[in-house]
Amino acid sequence: MLNKTGVPTLEDIQTVSPSEERLKKGPVAIIECFQEIPCNPCTEACKQGAIRPMEDINNLPKLDLDKCNGCGVCLSRCPGLAIFIVDASYSDTEAIVRIPYEYYPVPQVGEKVVGLNRAGDELGTFEVSKVQSGGQKNKTYTIWLIVPQSLAMEVRGLRLRSTEIQPKETIVCRCEDITLGEIQALIKEGYSTIDEIKRAARAGMGPCQGRTCRMLIAQELAKFYSIPVGEVLMPTFRPTVKPVKLGTYAGGE
Amino acid sequence: MRITEHPILEFQRGEEVTFFFEGQELKGFEGETIAAALHAAGIKVLGHSPNMHRPRGLFCAIGNCSSCLMVVNGEPNIRICVEKLKPGMRVETQQGKGCLK
Amino acid sequence: MKEIEILVIGGGPAGLSAATAAANLGASVLVLERDGKPGGQLVKQTHKFFGSKKQYAGDRGYQIGNLLIDECEKNPKVEVWTDSTALGIYEDGVVTAEGQGKHLKIKPKKIIVATGASEKMIAFPNNDLPGIYGAGAVQTLMNVYGIVPGKRVLMIGAGNIGLIVSYQLMQAGVEIAGIIEASPTIGGYLVHASKIRRAGVPILTSHTIIEAYGQESVEGAKICQLDAQWQPIPGSEQDLNVDVICLAVGLSPLTELCFQADCQMKYVPELSGHVPIRNESLETTRPGLYVAGDVSGVEEASSAMVEGRLAGICAAYSLGYGTDEAPKLQREALAELSELRAGPAGQKTVKGIMKLMDKGGAAC
Repeated sequence: MLNKTGVPTLEDIQTVSPSEERLKKGPVAIIECFQEIPCNPCTEACKQGAIRPMEDINNLPKLDLDKCNGCGVCLSRCPGLAIFIVDASYSDTEAIVRIPYEYYPVPQVGEKVVGLNRAGDELGTFEVSKVQSGGQKNKTYTIWLIVPQSLAMEVRGLRLRSTEIQPKETIVCRCEDITLGEIQALIKEGYSTIDEIKRAARAGMGPCQGRTCRMLIAQELAKFYSIPVGEVLMPTFRPTVKPVKLGTYAGGE
Repeated sequence: MRITEHPILEFQRGEEVTFFFEGQELKGFEGETIAAALHAAGIKVLGHSPNMHRPRGLFCAIGNCSSCLMVVNGEPNIRICVEKLKPGMRVETQQGKGCLK
Repeated sequence: MKEIEILVIGGGPAGLSAATAAANLGASVLVLERDGKPGGQLVKQTHKFFGSKKQYAGDRGYQIGNLLIDECEKNPKVEVWTDSTALGIYEDGVVTAEGQGKHLKIKPKKIIVATGASEKMIAFPNNDLPGIYGAGAVQTLMNVYGIVPGKRVLMIGAGNIGLIVSYQLMQAGVEIAGIIEASPTIGGYLVHASKIRRAGVPILTSHTIIEAYGQESVEGAKICQLDAQWQPIPGSEQDLNVDVICLAVGLSPLTELCFQADCQMKYVPELSGHVPIRNESLETTRPGLYVAGDVSGVEEASSAMVEGRLAGICAAYSLGYGTDEAPKLQREALAELSELRAGPAGQKTVKGIMKLMDKGGAAC
C-alpha cells in the first residue's frame, strides 16, 4: 500500500503505464503521481500541451500520450520528483530511463551506478548516458540511465556505486584527530594546498610531522581538483623531522 | 603472546624484569621495547586521542607515526615503540596530548 | 661540532653499504642510525633473498644485515652512532641530530641520505583502531621481539611485503583470514604468492576493505569486491572475523631531509612518491648530497645495497679518493643495478628513473 510503505502498487503503476506500442515509439513521460494534492507545475511546464491544465489544482495530472514527446521539462519541474521519462526506442534490448536526482555528488556520464526500483531494491548496475543540470535555480539534475528493456518500467532511482567511505569515521591525521570529512570540508571551502589545510586544521603538525596523513591529504586534493597527485604542492619541510625535547637542546651543542 | 618456537629464528631475551602498567605488575624482558612487553601481555590500547577520545594502539613500531605515545615514569609523549623497557618502569595510558606535572 | 668527510644518514642496507664502500676507498665516514642497532629493515627479514650472489642471494635478510654490520664495524674508517636521528639539514651544510638524548651538530663534506621509506596509509572507517598495524610493525613485533600481534589477521596488499609478512605470520603460528589486493593482479613475486596459497590462505585480488570495526580494538573487517573500474560491487561484501588488520599498501620514500635541503623533487609513481632528482652518481641537485636506497625510489633491499655502494664510491671519489679504482667500481655497480632491474619486475623502476632523470632513452 502506497500510504503505508511509500511504494506505489502495481495497480497504481498500471494506471500511468503507456502501452507497449507507445513506449516503442519513443520518449514519453511517466507521471507517478497518485495522491490528490494541490500542485500543478507540470501543467505549466508542458509546452506540448500534453499535460492538460487542471480544473482543480488538486486533480491528478493527465497526460496525453500522443502529444507527449518526452522532452522532460516536466520531470525537472515536478516538486514531488514523481515524473520519469522512458525511451524504449533506444535500442532493441535497452531503454533509457531519465530520473530526477538531487543528491551529492552527481554521477558522471559514463559512470556505472546502481539502479533501484521504487522500493529502493538494487536492480543492477547501469551506465549513465547523459547528465542534465536543472540550472542555477531549479538545481534538479536529470540522470539518463541505460537499462535493459525489461527494466524500463522498474528502474526509478539510483545510487552511486562506490560505497563511499563514511568520512566521519575515517581518521586522516591521527596525531591531531582529524577526519576525512573535515579535510574534505576544508577542500570544498577552498583550502587548496596541504600547507593551507595544515594551518587551518593542524593536520600534519602533530608529533609524526605528517608522515601518516600528508599523502592522504594530497590524494583528496588531487581527487577534488582532478589532477595527478604529483601536481599537488607539497608543504614546507623544516627541521626537525621528529619531536625533540627542549631539554635536549638545552644540554646539547 | 610470545613466540616460543620458530622455524627460522631464535629469540634471545634479556633478563626478566618487572614493570607496571596502570599500576598493574607485569613482566617483560630487558632489551625489548615497552610496546613489545605490553603486546606480549595482550595490551593493545595505549591511550586515547586528544579530541575524539578514540583508542590508540601501536601502528608503525619504528618511531615514525606517534600513535603509541604513553606516559612513562610520569613523563608524557614517550614513543614506547622505540623506548626500551627498564626494571620498575611505570607505564600509563596517555589521554590526549599529555601534560607536564 | 663534529667534522667528518662523509655523513651517511641511515644505517640500513643502503647506508651500511655506502659507508663500507666509501671507507674502503679511504674516506672517513660517520653513520647515523636512529635505532639501537643498525641494519634497518633487514633485521626483520626472515626469508631468503633474491638477486645474485653479489647481493647475498639465498641468505636470509637478517643474516645479510649482520654481514653488512660486521663489514662496517671492522672497518676503522667507519664510525656508527646508534640511537641517533638526523633532525635537519641546514643551508650552511650543518646537519643536526639527536644522539642518545643530546643535541648534536655535524659538519660533513658530503652527505649520503639513506633514510629509507615509511609505510603508506589508506583511508577507511576506523583505520586508527588498535589492532591495525603497518606491515613493518608486525615484522618488528614478530621477528625482532618474538611477539605475535594477534590470532587472526586480514592482510591488505598482495605486493611483496604483504605476501612475505603473511608468510612470516603463518610461520609464527598466526592464522591469515585472507590477503586482499585492490588491483586485479598480485603485485609481489608469484613464488611468494604460491607458497601462501598452497598453505590454504585465500588471496583475493580486486578486493578492498570497506571498514574495520570494534570497540577498543579490532574485532572484524568488512571487505568487498571491486569491478574493472575499481568500484565496489554491490552485494559482494564479506564480514571477516579478525583481531588484526595488517596494512601492506606500499611505502613512501622518507624524503623530509631532502625537501629540507632544497633538493629538487619530483613525484614519480613508479618510485612510490616524491623523490629527489639525481644524476647517475646518485648526487642530487644539491651539490654534495647523495641519495641511496628506498629514499631515492622504493625498491628491493638488493638494489638498495648496490645503490648504497654506488653512492659511497661516488662520494669518496669526489673527495679525491680512489682515483684509480673508483671509476671501475662505479661501472660495476651500475652494471649490477641494470642487471637487477633488467627483468619485468624491474621495469617499473627503470621507467621511474627515466622519468626522474627526464631521459627518453636508457637509464640505469
